[in-house]
Amino acid sequence: MLQNEQEFIRILKDRLSGTLAKEELDDIVSDYAEHFQVGRANGRSDEELWRSLGSPEDVAREIKAMHLVKKAESVKSCSNIFHAVLATLGLGLFNLVFVLAPFLLLVCMLVVVLILGFVFTITGPVTLLYSVLQMAGLPAFAIWLNPVAGIFISVGITTTGLLLIIGDYYLARFFYRVGIAYLKWNISVITGTEGTA
Amino acid sequence: MRQNEPGDDKFASFVFRLNFDGLTGTKIILWLLAITIVSFAIGFGILALTGGFPPDSQNKDTPFRHSSMTAPNTTQFPRGDAASGKISITMGAGELSVDGGSPEGTIMEATIFDKAPEWQPRYFQTVSNSTAIIRMEDPGHKGKEWFAPHSPNSWDIRVADRVPVDLEIAVGAGHSSLSLGSLSLNSLTVSTGAGETDIDLTGYRGSAFTGSIDNGVGDLTIRVPRTSNMQVTVRQGVGDVTQHGFEQQHERYTTPGFDPALPASDLLINQGVGDITIEAV
Repeated sequence: MLQNEQEFIRILKDRLSGTLAKEELDDIVSDYAEHFQVGRANGRSDEELWRSLGSPEDVAREIKAMHLVKKAESVKSCSNIFHAVLATLGLGLFNLVFVLAPFLLLVCMLVVVLILGFVFTITGPVTLLYSVLQMAGLPAFAIWLNPVAGIFISVGITTTGLLLIIGDYYLARFFYRVGIAYLKWNISVITGTEGTA
Repeated sequence: MRQNEPGDDKFASFVFRLNFDGLTGTKIILWLLAITIVSFAIGFGILALTGGFPPDSQNKDTPFRHSSMTAPNTTQFPRGDAASGKISITMGAGELSVDGGSPEGTIMEATIFDKAPEWQPRYFQTVSNSTAIIRMEDPGHKGKEWFAPHSPNSWDIRVADRVPVDLEIAVGAGHSSLSLGSLSLNSLTVSTGAGETDIDLTGYRGSAFTGSIDNGVGDLTIRVPRTSNMQVTVRQGVGDVTQHGFEQQHERYTTPGFDPALPASDLLINQGVGDITIEAV
């Protein structure tokens, strides 16, 4: 394979098209074209410049990961953070441990808290109804030791559920911010730009 | 013309005073937190005051009845060598269902809705002169049920088919549903204080029997087989009597083709207040 500017740019464009906007891609491509031009003016060959930059596939992966992390930072959504995590995984196998495992753990925790919240929120009104029917003397609904206590405890169960849902929302926001910061740090460590940003 | 202001309308004024605009996320969370703490405190406080909390051995760490989510409590009474039975059921208040079809080898099977000790009936079983004698009594309730004004009793009784039985049923208040068509009765005594009573003898092919039904307040419905040799005597206080398929002579109703010379079932109804429906089907 030829290791010249055209091939480098072609591979870079090929890997990044569809992920980056055209203007953004053009900017990046012109930066790398300029890098080659300046290098050649200083008497360096295309092969030398290619080796100094690294393979265009790796460069594209790093650009893509950083782009998706920044996108997730500016537009908060489950889809964006998911794509950012996937792109970061592509930077190295060890990220299966350092990125994917904590990410899945957090998602599971948030989902469990959310499900608990909904279960509590739905259970509360149901047990409240049981309390009322138990007070009316219907035997099939006698689940409480004391139906009046059941009314208050049912209200408590409902509000606990609502608090869990609200708490889950704030937890998700917190972990989103922490997650973005972690992904950025992870990318900077991998690309060797830690402390230069 | 003066524009309406919130003060012109009581409801609008109330909503205005609620000041929903000032209800921020933090306030909502604080309100929910306060409601949660207060609700649990009151709920468990009531349980503590009424003796339901701290939990006893039956209700470990839960305000729910230990048995509420479990299967009903079923007790079976073996028939043994008994040739007949004498069954007496006394219920204070609740729903009583009596039917045939107790499992093979048993003379009676009682299913109680709740396993909670305070709702368990008392059972007595003996055998005398090859007659199985079973008594089932509501122990009555006291103490911490003053928040539940009505008994949650629900008894489902099954009696052995084709075994001659003397059946005595007393219900203080509640709905009684007696489907006795598959039984063989020596005698039937039903006494109810208040509530609806349905006695269904449809399909009855057992021996002739004598029956006495005393109903205080409430409607009574009795269905008997049209082909049976039966007479029903009705003594009623207040209410209407509706009959289908009987031949009537004053307060005496007989099934079509009734023959006093043959073994006949004799049913006496004493009704205080309520409508009576008797049907020969």
